[in-house]
Amino acid sequence: MTSTINRDPREVIREEPLMHRPILEALAGGPLTVPEIAEILGRPSEEVMIWVMGMRRYAKLVELREPTDDGFFQYADTSREVRS
Amino acid sequence: MEYDALVVGGGIGGMESSLKLGDMGYKVLLVEKEPSVGGRMILLSKVFPTLDCASCISGPKMSSTINHPNITTASSSTVLGIRRTPEGRFLATVKKRATYVDPAACTGCQECEPVCTVAVPDQFNADLVPRRAAFLAFPQAVPKKVVIERAGTSPCTDTCPAGIKAHGYVALIRNGRYEEAFQLVLEATPLVGTLGRACYAPCENECTRDDVESSIPIRRLKRFVADRHYETMQGPGVVAPEPNGHRVAIVGSGPAGLTAAWQLARLGYGVTLYEASPEPGGFLRYAIPAYRLPQDVVERDIANVTALGVEIVTNSPITDLEALHHDGFDAVLVATGTPRSTTLGIPGEEFAGVQSGLELLRDVRLGAGPDWTGQRVVVVGGGNVAMDAARTARRLGARRTIVAYRRGRDEMPAMASEVQDAAHEGVAFEFLVAPVEVLGDEHGRVTGVRCQRMVLGAPDASGRRRPEPADHSTFVIECDAVIGAIGMVPDTEDFATTLRVGADRRVAVDPLTRQSEVEYLFAAGDVVNGATDITRAVGEGRRAAHMIDRFLTGRPLDGFVALDDRLAAVDKAAVLARQRTYTPREAAPDTFSLSDGPTDFSEVERVLSEVEALAGAGACLDCGVCSECGQCVRACPADAIDLNAKDQVIEVDVGAVVVSTGYKLFAADLKPEYGWGQYANVITGMQMDRLLAPTRPFNTVLRPGDGKVPERIAYVSCTGSRDRTVDNPLCSKLCCMYSVKQNQLIMGTLPLADVTMHYIDIRAAGKRYDEFYEQSRAMGASYIKGRVSKITEKDNGDLVLRYEDIENGGAITEAEYDLVVLAVGVQPNREVEQLFTDEHLDLNEYYYVDEPDDDLDPGRTNIPGVFVAGAAAGAKDIVDSITHAGAAVSQVAAYLERRRDDDLINQELATMELSR
Repeated sequence: MTSTINRDPREVIREEPLMHRPILEALAGGPLTVPEIAEILGRPSEEVMIWVMGMRRYAKLVELREPTDDGFFQYADTSREVRS
Repeated sequence: MEYDALVVGGGIGGMESSLKLGDMGYKVLLVEKEPSVGGRMILLSKVFPTLDCASCISGPKMSSTINHPNITTASSSTVLGIRRTPEGRFLATVKKRATYVDPAACTGCQECEPVCTVAVPDQFNADLVPRRAAFLAFPQAVPKKVVIERAGTSPCTDTCPAGIKAHGYVALIRNGRYEEAFQLVLEATPLVGTLGRACYAPCENECTRDDVESSIPIRRLKRFVADRHYETMQGPGVVAPEPNGHRVAIVGSGPAGLTAAWQLARLGYGVTLYEASPEPGGFLRYAIPAYRLPQDVVERDIANVTALGVEIVTNSPITDLEALHHDGFDAVLVATGTPRSTTLGIPGEEFAGVQSGLELLRDVRLGAGPDWTGQRVVVVGGGNVAMDAARTARRLGARRTIVAYRRGRDEMPAMASEVQDAAHEGVAFEFLVAPVEVLGDEHGRVTGVRCQRMVLGAPDASGRRRPEPADHSTFVIECDAVIGAIGMVPDTEDFATTLRVGADRRVAVDPLTRQSEVEYLFAAGDVVNGATDITRAVGEGRRAAHMIDRFLTGRPLDGFVALDDRLAAVDKAAVLARQRTYTPREAAPDTFSLSDGPTDFSEVERVLSEVEALAGAGACLDCGVCSECGQCVRACPADAIDLNAKDQVIEVDVGAVVVSTGYKLFAADLKPEYGWGQYANVITGMQMDRLLAPTRPFNTVLRPGDGKVPERIAYVSCTGSRDRTVDNPLCSKLCCMYSVKQNQLIMGTLPLADVTMHYIDIRAAGKRYDEFYEQSRAMGASYIKGRVSKITEKDNGDLVLRYEDIENGGAITEAEYDLVVLAVGVQPNREVEQLFTDEHLDLNEYYYVDEPDDDLDPGRTNIPGVFVAGAAAGAKDIVDSITHAGAAVSQVAAYLERRRDDDLINQELATMELSR
């Protein structure tokens, strides 16, 4: 999937609060990378990246200590117990 | 206020200028437009060539600046203009923007941020991540005070006559906080369920989203939260306060009376509502048909009021207002509305089958409606009551219902949606028709209405064109019932001895306070204004309650900020200009089920589903930025937030001015061939500096496109510098070195990453700059000489650079990278052109502030007493900015001392002249 920006960033950012629930639901099964979350939501990965980083900023999500072999960090719901 | 010097801009040049002047003993006013001093330097990762932490160097200077005894810092402030005084000094007009946070109380704890309901791009993180409308600029901000970004009142909120914070509850719904949204509406009125159904939603007419594709369903969102609350909770969820000992009587339990009772009860007043009818609610219960407003919704809304201890006394018409006062009520509010119908005033009104619209609607609500099965009904009038009567007639079995209105459809006072819905339900319309006589048979029963055709003449006092008879011919509409719905008036005869009642039966009170000439008597709503609508009546009730509270607590009758003192509405064009593109959305679904043969009074509109509500709320454009949801106010442990704060404009007298407004970064999208703004994995140097900073927006350096840790990173130097295609032939001086700095930092952060810089030539002219560059090469960074002509993106988000490889024969070559950093240059900040209102500050040919003799007299401008410090005079790195600020400060000191000497000499001469 390309990372071509299709929507105005302000529009994507404005949606961050709206995306908390679907992203947390996607993480119910455990930590996921940004592309994995994007695939579950059916949304572009560059938009999911903005939402995930916004959620991380406000402590809804936290990254696991090391990235995967593919070079992606996994993000977990901070309200759930996660083993890294 | 007087200062020796005004410093405009609180970046490194401005801070250095202020500190040096302050150290010399001069009084300085430093004006900074951002919430924190520090400029761009504080946002950097590290500084070159020492790789010292930018925060560690800048932080103490920021702190020294705002704590210096000789420096007054005005952050979040703008200089509107500077002009020369007759004494040769300067008068500066400074606007201190309201931050809506009391800086003396705010501790910078940021408890307000996570609860804020509005997400916007974080400009202090180069727009890489969202921040909230309530925000601390950055963790090292000085002063460390939260500010709330407000662009104005959102148009939806601004237009609400009830002062309901529509944007606020929409934003709360978007955040999934439905109960908080319900509570926000409750702050205005207990009638949440009612307004969710029967409000005419002026907010939706003003919704900026309507200029994109369609308004968001603001009213239905209110109903959504009301229905959820009522499904799951008993009572309003509000705790009754301790009684304050005062008693207030309210006459009339319609929307104005109920709202006033609610507001006063929340303040601890003992409130008694007197209602003439058998049940409370006024028009809500007796005039709005159940298919629009079900009875149980009205009852739940009224139960909110009684839950706070308000006593409702029904079947109790009040005729003696003074008696209530004598009975111990400290204040009395008259809110009896417009219960009387205007008669048709034509022959034949006495026939059986003629009645008013209000009577019909009331009878139906009481279960005593007529059976009109198979009959023909004519409704006379064009307002909302006429529409309700006509649609009610259809439900009572009328086979034919005609609305006869003397003007045209466009002139109808009824809401367009009501007219449309009536037509959907099979109501027919006769426009430009006026009844002149009701016809009846020998049994005294209606048989028809004789009508006259009308034409529209000149506009009358209401602004609508006056209907005039077309000719003298008439025609008859045969019918079995005639409903008159041509107007409503108050019933105030009994009050005329104590209140001033006009010829139109309306009570005359102060238009601002709603206080009558008898100080304890207030009146509000339709009894004052004539027939309006529920939402206006709610606003009236709020206003009256506020003023009664002020009256009973001995305060001036003012300060009704909910409606009288809101921030000006934000300009919709400015809102739309925030985005380059808008993604069209589907309009909110049609939730009405209308049939052309309605048979019962069941509700015709369904509630939005949660998915629909979230989609609707998600379309909100956050026009005012802050939604006024009030969550920050509740979360603040220091009680520091005041959303009613106002901007302040002050004038200061200063002896000299230092312009240190810095530079602007080149807008990378002006080089479309490099793909910034198009490809997420193409970023700017400032964005990379943020990714490398300790307070970075991501957990490490990651691709914005997908969060991958980049392994191949390219730099494109001279983006927007030395480039006549973007009208900037100048070298920006600092891009090479910040790129080299970042090269080294990346290699430290991502040891496995390959870093390549595509450059024209490396300009490392500074103390230890070249050694720094060589060190970077030695660490493994690659440097390829040659301009990049184009960047394209592959399917996996990787980027292909096409460039000229000069040192290898000039071949046109392509290389793939995970991430590309554009080393953008700097440009002049042309806001300086607006600073001086009566003198012209010269700029050089590149639009930087001109120094007429910059070799020998750096820092001096063409205006005596005005000096320039730092990058406002041309591209400079941090070291050069500080040095230049030092030069400017020397100039300022010399200028001030010269003027002081001149003043002393003049004073002595004047004294000698006098002694002679």
